[in-house]
Amino acid sequence: MPNRSEIEMLVIESVRLLADDFEIDALRQADASSRLYGTDGSLDSMALVNLIADIEEAVDEKFGASIALADEKAMSAKHSPFRDVSSLTDATKERIEA
Amino acid sequence: MKTIVITGTRKGIGKALAEYYLANNWRVAGCSRGDASITNENYVHYSLDVSDEKAVVAMARDLKKRFGNVDGLLNNAGIASMNHALLTPGETVNRILQTNVVGTFLFCREMAKLMRSTKSGRIVNFTTVAHPLNLEGEAIYAASKAAVESLTRILARELAELQITVNAVGPTPIDTDLIRGVPSEKMDALLARQAIRRMGDVKDVINAVDFFIRPESDFITGQVLYLGGVN
Repeated sequence: MPNRSEIEMLVIESVRLLADDFEIDALRQADASSRLYGTDGSLDSMALVNLIADIEEAVDEKFGASIALADEKAMSAKHSPFRDVSSLTDATKERIEA
Repeated sequence: MKTIVITGTRKGIGKALAEYYLANNWRVAGCSRGDASITNENYVHYSLDVSDEKAVVAMARDLKKRFGNVDGLLNNAGIASMNHALLTPGETVNRILQTNVVGTFLFCREMAKLMRSTKSGRIVNFTTVAHPLNLEGEAIYAASKAAVESLTRILARELAELQITVNAVGPTPIDTDLIRGVPSEKMDALLARQAIRRMGDVKDVINAVDFFIRPESDFITGQVLYLGGVN
């Protein structure tokens, strides 16, 4: 089972790769505190869709776990798990451990 | 080598489509509830129920590992049940909606993820003339395909940014298992409502599907193409 910092690294790496692809300057050097989606976030909805798919694939490749980040829990959460790198890391960890 | 995913490849149109693309140097990933009925070095088979979300996700992950991406998807798997609405069990309704609507949706969702990197993905869904013709005895089948048409039009918009086109082909009756057991007078009445009054052939379907799959068709999306002159 990967620890939180390993998962955080995977999330940051995915965000940086996406930022290069989508030419999102604000996230090219993303770190643990980077805002992603919503208030002050730099991702539009299409970039977010791509990021979620990228992370799901990366988790499967790196940790051998099949997860769905965009599940009903995420969609109905009061605070979106997609708002920043930290919340996305927590959401990914929670689903890997489920 | 390009990769195309085709659902429902054990028999009928799905099998013919798989054989057509294999003959044209595509790699084909097929699926059905049973075992494979195609043997070819460029064919890989998954035994699954298209409405089983976990199985569809697992298939997509396996395809990602094996081939990296997917170029096309033909959502051919479908079931019908011809019966008067008053004689149609709820269980049948659920089964048809699960396979035709949920199955089509899950494959669109998972395979679109694998098409992102190609910048030229192609999805072709399957509908039926039973929907525009409002055929009696096919309420649930036609309704399920109406849902597939709506999915096609909306996904065409949602996936356009990923350069994925989403279209649908609506065949007329073809001599396959799907229409076995339909009385001949019913079939004649149905054919009479087509502009071109003959049974469809698998090659008619392949031709229409292939039109949407062609690289030159990258400006065509959200369209429903009925065969036989039905509209």
